[in-house]
Amino acid sequence: MAKTVTIVVDDIEYEVPAGMNLVDVCKQYAGVDIPVFCYHPKLGHDGNCRMCLVELATPRKNPHTGEMELAWFPTLQTACTQKTSEGMTVRTKSQKVIDGRREILEFLLSSHPLDCPICDKGGECPLQELTLRHGPGTSRMYWEEKMHLGKHVPLGELIYLDQERCILCARCIRFQDNIADDPVLAFDQRGRHQQIITASSPGFNSIFSGDTTDICPVGALTSADFRFNARPWEMVQVATICSHCPVGCNMSFDTRTDREAGGRTTIKRIMPRQNERVNEIWICDKGRFAHHHMEHPERLTKPLIRRNGRLVEAGWEEALREVTAQLQHAGENVAAIAGGRLPNEDLFALQKLIRAQGSHHIDAYPPVRGGEFTASVGVGVGTNLADMGSGDAIVVIAGDLHEEAPLWWLRVKAAAERGAMLITIGGRETRLDKFATHSLRYDYTEEVATLNALLGCMKLTGLPRSVDGLKEAVKGARAFKPDKAIKDAAEALAGANNVIALVGHEGLDGQGSHNLAQAVANLLMATGHFGRPNNGLIVVWPTANGQGASDIGVRPDYRPGYQRIPVPGMGYTDILAALADNTLRALYVVGADPLFDDPAAEQALRSTLGTIIVQDMFLTATAEVADVVLPSQSAAEREGTYTSGERRVQRFYPAIEPCGQSQPDWLIIQTIGKRLGHGNPSPSAAAVLLEIAKTVPQYAGITYQTLAEVEPQIPDVGGEDLYYGGTAFRNRHGLGVQWPAAAESGGALSAHPVEAAESIEPEEDMLLVVPITLLYDAEPVFHKTSLLHGRVPGPDILMHPEDARYLDIADGDVVRLSIDGKDITVVVRFDEQAPEGAALLPRRMQVQGAPMAATFATLVRWDVEALER
Amino acid sequence: MFEPVLTRNIHRPYSEKITTYLEHGGYNAVRKAFAGTPEEIIDMVKRSGLRGRGGAGFPAGTKWGFMPKDQDIPKIVAVNTDEGEPGTFKDREIVERDPHQIIEGVIIAAYAIGAGRAYVYIRGEFFLGVKRWIKAIADAYEHGFLGKNILGSGMNLDMSVHRGAGAYICGEETAMLESLEGKRGNPRLKPPYPAQVGLFGLPTLVHNIETLACIPHIIERGPEWFAGIGTEESKGPKIFSVSGHVNRPGNYELPLGISLREIIDEHAGGVRDGKRLKAVIPGGASTPILPANRVDVPMAFETLNAAGSQLGTGAVIVMDETTCMVEIARRLAKFFAHESCGRCTPCRIGSVRLYELLDRIEHGKGKPGDIETILETANGIDGLTFCPMGAALANPARSAIEHFREEFEFHIEHKGCLVKAVYSS
Repeated sequence: MAKTVTIVVDDIEYEVPAGMNLVDVCKQYAGVDIPVFCYHPKLGHDGNCRMCLVELATPRKNPHTGEMELAWFPTLQTACTQKTSEGMTVRTKSQKVIDGRREILEFLLSSHPLDCPICDKGGECPLQELTLRHGPGTSRMYWEEKMHLGKHVPLGELIYLDQERCILCARCIRFQDNIADDPVLAFDQRGRHQQIITASSPGFNSIFSGDTTDICPVGALTSADFRFNARPWEMVQVATICSHCPVGCNMSFDTRTDREAGGRTTIKRIMPRQNERVNEIWICDKGRFAHHHMEHPERLTKPLIRRNGRLVEAGWEEALREVTAQLQHAGENVAAIAGGRLPNEDLFALQKLIRAQGSHHIDAYPPVRGGEFTASVGVGVGTNLADMGSGDAIVVIAGDLHEEAPLWWLRVKAAAERGAMLITIGGRETRLDKFATHSLRYDYTEEVATLNALLGCMKLTGLPRSVDGLKEAVKGARAFKPDKAIKDAAEALAGANNVIALVGHEGLDGQGSHNLAQAVANLLMATGHFGRPNNGLIVVWPTANGQGASDIGVRPDYRPGYQRIPVPGMGYTDILAALADNTLRALYVVGADPLFDDPAAEQALRSTLGTIIVQDMFLTATAEVADVVLPSQSAAEREGTYTSGERRVQRFYPAIEPCGQSQPDWLIIQTIGKRLGHGNPSPSAAAVLLEIAKTVPQYAGITYQTLAEVEPQIPDVGGEDLYYGGTAFRNRHGLGVQWPAAAESGGALSAHPVEAAESIEPEEDMLLVVPITLLYDAEPVFHKTSLLHGRVPGPDILMHPEDARYLDIADGDVVRLSIDGKDITVVVRFDEQAPEGAALLPRRMQVQGAPMAATFATLVRWDVEALER
Repeated sequence: MFEPVLTRNIHRPYSEKITTYLEHGGYNAVRKAFAGTPEEIIDMVKRSGLRGRGGAGFPAGTKWGFMPKDQDIPKIVAVNTDEGEPGTFKDREIVERDPHQIIEGVIIAAYAIGAGRAYVYIRGEFFLGVKRWIKAIADAYEHGFLGKNILGSGMNLDMSVHRGAGAYICGEETAMLESLEGKRGNPRLKPPYPAQVGLFGLPTLVHNIETLACIPHIIERGPEWFAGIGTEESKGPKIFSVSGHVNRPGNYELPLGISLREIIDEHAGGVRDGKRLKAVIPGGASTPILPANRVDVPMAFETLNAAGSQLGTGAVIVMDETTCMVEIARRLAKFFAHESCGRCTPCRIGSVRLYELLDRIEHGKGKPGDIETILETANGIDGLTFCPMGAALANPARSAIEHFREEFEFHIEHKGCLVKAVYSS
């Protein structure tokens, strides 16, 4: 229990924590709202706006009498810069305080344009709110002396600055400097001429730029996506979960029925929804802006059937009849590939259908493994990255969190800044290394070897008895020789109170990711960091619902709830091979687009004689080779649940009307199932979740009701008062439910020794190419948002200058690479951060129609041939 | 006749050279200081009663006492040569003409607090001062007063010069530290004070030039000698920069406690052209204006506070009867509006509003009620700002109205100047 002190606020005594910010204390303990502009509980104090003035006194010994007395400061003090101490006494409502605040507001308003009627912030604006409560009704200043400044100053193509409205509170600058670590905003000029500018090219170059528009306490920062688009009071907030990455950020679709859209409900903007255990009050720009695919004109509105070699529109009845016939014909020779971004309900329906057909040939795309380990030693229920600090350790392995899971990056970085040990283990330098206490580098293919060596040199005093096979696993690991960096990291890790490990999959195929996750799980089990909050494993899935797909059995080796299948079906790679040699009669692809990504898929899907059924929102590259295409709904049109990488099941709600004749994936699948004789469709998505909860033991008790439960969150940044700025933060629709891992619920745990992968030695004129994931890519769900096109990097291959010199390639050369007999051309860009001995090729970078392709997570060897100089 | 101490060398030929300084007993105080312990030096400075000469008048010995005693923590001495307070030109003269006196003071201070590094922050426009500083530091290194093992004492001290980029507020110690670190010169939140977290996060002793110039003399002549000069709460000699409507403007080193009238009449040659004295700003532009009937006030921290002004930097700006006080207030307000760093609301916006109101009155566009608005605005700035500049920018207008309200009323009522009306008829 933290030390407490007694303070007096407006003549009432309160027992509060010592050293706490006075503004927060007054709000939380005394129910007193001290008005603020520059202060924000997430950003700390700056003391520049002077709005939070109070009368303040602290006890002091009288030098003459020696007795303790209250010493009042002669001038008003800013509450935001004060920390509670014993006997601190505050007046927040005296005339002096009222006068001081009114004075500050008069100054602010005397240079404010007062264009509330056309301001995007109007209606949810702290300046408006606080003026109504504390401001003067009139100004003593002269209207004609108002300063007029730039109204639509682009800080980049995403964020616009209205210099007149800006009150220079520096919240945006401080957010960029201290939270996002993109110090791209700054003050220019001094005094009354001071202005916010961007110091980067392109302007405001940060993947968190949209968050500044939320915390801006006036209408100075607006996003190109939302500005002049709707008034805050017209919009309905519909709770949703971001579908772009495994963090599972809580968001809301702010919707309105729109004249321009013919009276349809449209999404006007996306706002973060506070969930202190998941995303706090932040979201990345991909989550905020990349929603335009949902209402894109290229959405599929009707089923398509291939007639005479061409896909033509058809009715649902015709399409379903076709699909049913093909699946009937295929019998158990059917396989399914599902996108990891699909909700649990859809994934459950799909695996049920395929298994009802007698097949276990089902896999998620991209096929990353590790769910069985998070199910056993995943982070404990109640885990919060915000709790990690001094004495704790976070290990980040084989991935770039900044690009793959931005909010985890943000929160891991914050933990490191709070003093948590950060150990990064990867094949290359990423943006997290700057904050790392230990950075371990391996050559790609040595991922497992590195983890084994780390475990092997840990000084372990007794192994947890609850885990089978741990002794053998540790013994196996001892065979690996650690270098000094690994030994240092092991020593540091041994002293950690709590350890969370985030394991990625960079450069790894399904088996590789499985092995690496096992190696990490071994480490956590041997050191006892599992089965309790703030300890355990997180898999950095490539998609939003990778965890859910694994839990629900969208994989060939487990039924729902991790019930092992004695004779597993075919995984993704085997499915492709079986398609190529025509041993599979039908492939059902739901919400996945392997052909866009994977040259191997292209060959298999184009050559197979089997039927290909694709169910998607768009006519994707994969859909173009399909025999039947079924239009599905986006996450905005239906309800469902995702399971985040931290195993938090979270619910999203329907926000807009369905596009055309599209249907929710689960319903399409169950309708087909009915026609195949596998039972009636569920009445609702909620009913599907009930069935999941019955089938998957881990999900027992989870219903749409429990997922909708909320509790008060601290800090309260979304209250009616809007004191902390921010607008749509309040979470009224559910915080989700984190399900207990086996280690917590008394399940069996076991460790297994992991063999190191074989190393790849490039032959002459060949190059090891590692596909990497970037946040902004050319995938349809992202790329349909044209607003962000300027931020997508070129489809370049990144090469260390040393490697390039060795291969006689210059920066900017166009080279031809050959993979699986397929040629692609890319531009070489030198990158000092690229590892030596391996080139990095961003995945999903091909713009439509271009022959560019990158493989999914495996290592491949490429021919390099310089074409142009 | 008072014997000048701080300025005793400045009229000698080649006074800036180290040879001149050494010829006249320079660097003897360092040797004397090294003979004592750091605690003894701090005690001497405490006993001398020396208060900072940069404007705030904080007791120097107390400041030294705040420095952490832990020898493992590197400490810094930061020398404030930003002298930007309008009317003040004392530090500049010392730096240009007797820089070794300061270096000697810095060495003693560094010895007392255990600092190994000293940074000089100098106002960018002091071109000669920069040259003299650089040359003096180089010569001091050459003679073994700076660098490793100074005079065989085992003490190391490195010193370098950093030029400011021209902001008034960089004379405020924390803004100066920000600027020294290469950032915007904006004041920092206090606490922590520089003695705990100063330059680059290290404990830092910040002193004004004139304060440091006093140190060698306190060591050489003893704290009792120093404390014997001045008044109860203001000890030692002080350089008064006299400017404005006097016959002999310039720097005059005199004992604290001397009356303002004596400085003007005896030393600065009286008001020019036989005109009558109208008003005086006694301590630089940020201190309140005093009317002529208060010039018998002794120039000391406590007496000037009682008289409704401040000693500030001791820069005496003299105004004769032909001076329009509205114009004085307007010009000073313009200066402060221009020099606001922009960080906090009341200063950034209030300073401009204050200037605009005064500008209206000066140009015959004032309206009844403007005077009250000025006073209320000034009170709305003073006490609400982030740093002490709020008080500074409120002072001129507030004191001008307090003592010369009729001139403001005349401006508003007659859309013209009372002083002009009187002197042109």
